[in-house]
Amino acid sequence: MRKVVVSSVFAALLVLTGCSDKEPKVEGLDNAAAGSKVSSAGESVSGKSLSSSESESDIMARLEKEFSSVYFDFDKFNIRADMQANVSKDASVAKSQASKYAIKLEGNCDEWGSDEYNFALGLKRANTVKNALVAEGVDTNRISMVSLGEGNPTCTDKTKECWSKNRRVEFKLLP
Amino acid sequence: MKIIISILLVISSLFANDATIDVIKKAGNLPSIAVEDSSASYDQTFKDRFFKSIVADLNVLAIFNVDGNYRKVCYDAGSVVVENKDMKYVLRYRLSEGDNGAFNTDIKLISDGNIVFNKSYNVNNSNIYMFVSHSIAYDINKFMGEAPVEWMKRKVIFSRMTSPQKSELVVSDYTLTYQHVIVKGGFNIFPKWANKEQTAFYYSALDERKPTLKYLDIRTGKVQVIKSSDGMMICSDVSDDGNKLLLTMAPKGQPDIYLYDVNTKNMKTLTNYGGIDVGGQFMGNDKVVFVSDRLGYPNIFSTNINSNNVEQVVHYGKSNAACSVYGDYIVYKARESSESFGHNTFNLHLVSTKTDFIRRLTAVGVNEFPRFSVDGDAIIFIKSYESQSSIGIIRLNHNKNFLFPLKYGKVQSIDW
Repeated sequence: MRKVVVSSVFAALLVLTGCSDKEPKVEGLDNAAAGSKVSSAGESVSGKSLSSSESESDIMARLEKEFSSVYFDFDKFNIRADMQANVSKDASVAKSQASKYAIKLEGNCDEWGSDEYNFALGLKRANTVKNALVAEGVDTNRISMVSLGEGNPTCTDKTKECWSKNRRVEFKLLP
Repeated sequence: MKIIISILLVISSLFANDATIDVIKKAGNLPSIAVEDSSASYDQTFKDRFFKSIVADLNVLAIFNVDGNYRKVCYDAGSVVVENKDMKYVLRYRLSEGDNGAFNTDIKLISDGNIVFNKSYNVNNSNIYMFVSHSIAYDINKFMGEAPVEWMKRKVIFSRMTSPQKSELVVSDYTLTYQHVIVKGGFNIFPKWANKEQTAFYYSALDERKPTLKYLDIRTGKVQVIKSSDGMMICSDVSDDGNKLLLTMAPKGQPDIYLYDVNTKNMKTLTNYGGIDVGGQFMGNDKVVFVSDRLGYPNIFSTNINSNNVEQVVHYGKSNAACSVYGDYIVYKARESSESFGHNTFNLHLVSTKTDFIRRLTAVGVNEFPRFSVDGDAIIFIKSYESQSSIGIIRLNHNKNFLFPLKYGKVQSIDW
């Protein structure tokens, strides 16, 4: 009977298994460390004057709520007529209360497709909003974009109404 | 093991000259095979798990009529159990626990009372028993003189959404029985093996200030930042030698396809259409197949790396938003219904650049993210049906589909 040494796939797997606890920690610790740095910095700022003033992150979080998300039709990235008012209001907030911050536009899609095309659709939505903001006087250099595809749903029910809530562009502020 | 194998199409095909054409053959012509357990070590639960795994693997080979009844017999018994006496083949195995938890497996393939093939397998623990099972099936397939099924022994990597903006990257076997979370925390998607040896992979990190392409070496655990772009940054394909990448980036808000040289770090723009160009796939040395909405809806096109001439390559389907390439073959995802929702389904189709035939590969549910195996023998894809996320395998030359459900979360993207 032939005797077979552990095959290459097993060897590779064992290497993988041997490293298994390492990689996630490397990545996980990086993220955790980055997150804790942010929060500890925030705590120290707020610790100086606990109740008298908001921390920078609190201000940004409050201002982000001033923006209105822009919603889109299925498979479309043009701004609907009923969303024009939202865009104008958002441009106004961007130029006034939020004028000292950079703006990150997050393009989102419904769950119909996890492929690159769906991500591109989210990006085109963000880009359409960016162009509309710039047309209303917001400095283009303040605006960055990211497509989150279907990865950031606000609603997970299997309904048309739910999916329509997920096809949106959201506003985030960056220092 | 709780694998549920769902055989959607149980029709065997005889030939494989053109994979886009179905030729139907009666399934009854396949030789029968039964499996006998001779294990002394391990409890019955584990024995049952291994038995189901080996039966499942033999089914996926699609070259046998597999008997699923569990039989026990002494490993050195001179004849097969009476219930298996009419079987053309009997696979007998013996599991035994070695020093320090080593997992040892001996097998013999019996036909007409003769041992026609035997082999032993050793791994250092029983947790990876499924890879032993896959290797046994691989070896039996080879012994039977069938086309190689290299993909059966390869590792699959996929991203699993766990909550909004949270995902994990998971390495698994092709049945998802073995799963190891290799990157946990954050929003990391679109993993892509960086080489044929599967010792490293690329992935997109979306929780950075800009979408960032990273490279993780599995052997060292080191993560390296490759490049960032506003809007999108995805590694769509890696050349066979691992030296060139096809990236989808949008530095000016416009998703386009770029060719990136890993060694020189030089970047070349391959498309510059004002709409959407994404998902580049290498076809030979100088062609790239990709998805574009330049006709007003997503479809599959090709371009020449040197001339940038663009040509439509798929002429069927209203909305073809993803594809994979092997040789002259393209498998693509098409939206089948003009209804936005309701019974809206996505199915996979296979075409060849050399013929006009189209072969429909799936029938129900949402079928997406097709990826050819390294040898072109099979296609892996993501299936969503009735709130269940599964990984599917299509055996092209055997006309069979198999599904392996995910226990939790949703598969976002996959590579193998």
